[in-house]
Amino acid sequence: MAMDHDTGALIHRLAESAEPVQPLPRPWVRTSAWVALAIAYLGLVIFVVSPRSDLMAKLSEWRYVIEQLAALATGVAAALAAFASVIPGYSRKFILAPALPLAVWLATLGQGCVQDWISSGPHGLTLRPDWLCFPSIALVGALPAVAMLAMLRRGAPLTPRLTIALGALAAAGLGNFGLRFFHPQDAGLMVLVWQFGSVFALSALAGWAGRYMLPWRAILDSERHFSR
Amino acid sequence: MASATDSDAGLAALMAAAQAGDIAAYQRLLKEITPRVRSVVRQSRRFLQPQDVEDLVQETLLSLHAVRATYDPKRPFMPWLMAITRNRLADGARRYARRTLREASVEPVTFSDVPANRDAEEYRDPEALRQAIVRLPLRQRQAIEMLKLREMSLKDASVATGTSIGALKVSVHRAVANLRRLLTNA
Repeated sequence: MAMDHDTGALIHRLAESAEPVQPLPRPWVRTSAWVALAIAYLGLVIFVVSPRSDLMAKLSEWRYVIEQLAALATGVAAALAAFASVIPGYSRKFILAPALPLAVWLATLGQGCVQDWISSGPHGLTLRPDWLCFPSIALVGALPAVAMLAMLRRGAPLTPRLTIALGALAAAGLGNFGLRFFHPQDAGLMVLVWQFGSVFALSALAGWAGRYMLPWRAILDSERHFSR
Repeated sequence: MASATDSDAGLAALMAAAQAGDIAAYQRLLKEITPRVRSVVRQSRRFLQPQDVEDLVQETLLSLHAVRATYDPKRPFMPWLMAITRNRLADGARRYARRTLREASVEPVTFSDVPANRDAEEYRDPEALRQAIVRLPLRQRQAIEMLKLREMSLKDASVATGTSIGALKVSVHRAVANLRRLLTNA
């Protein structure tokens, strides 16, 4: 009974300290806002770095266009899944949203490797170091990633590792989408290993640190800060 | 005695009012849902003592409070509440498992110093410690439970109890002194 009394006191304190809160917009609304911000930032980066000289020609190549659309769709779907995962009560099926575009992206990159093999033989699958990919994708995706983290921290950290991995996939996917507007690297294997590999590595790394980036404690502290 | 809050729509309306700053609606909502949360905790953790059940209920209420902006008034209320409850239950189970593992991994240590040896053995009786904690004054017991057993931060415990961080530190200090006295005199 003593603890029931404590719970009653807790309810009283929580109710008294509760200030009005604005309900979070629905996940697709938050996704739209984040994608708009990320695209604007990518546009600025591409403008500053200056687009690749063969961009107009690349835009008429179906393989390049499909790869870019798949990377963009993966980023958008991963963002939607990440925002849905911080809302209690949402169907867990949302987490699978990026699976299809991710599969299409991977399949087109794989198909590109096969095509390079057919057209150029073993030389078409030469893997050279491209150390610029990882930091470039991280840099291009940095601002969207920071914005994503700030937005995710307003939700409930129900699945912190998965949520952060999805958020990182969204930022890195869009980062790779932006990178290919100014980085003239289209060889199938190179894109698969260095670009897709970087996106995968960044997502896995972020997911591993998810519990530190999205802990319940931070949400409670933040609530305390704003409610006082 | 069917009230408006028996239905999901009634609870959703109370939560929407609470989000808008209606303190009475929020207090009524929390009172309405507490028995439901307690019932879920009891059903899924049958082995827990009533005190541990109440701890989890309080933690769920605190978490709900912290993320109340994530409730969408256009969606049903109970799935939202149950998702938070299940999540806090799972987190509580992970913490319990970690704590059990830590306690189980402590090897018996003997010291050449005889008094040190006797003290170490006396403190290794978890049931005696639990009984001693129950006998502490309310503030000290709360401080020990939140800071030492549930491993809450001083900030969180301060919000939960409504006392200052300084007062919590004093309570913990006194609680430890009292526990030492109770356990050595037992």
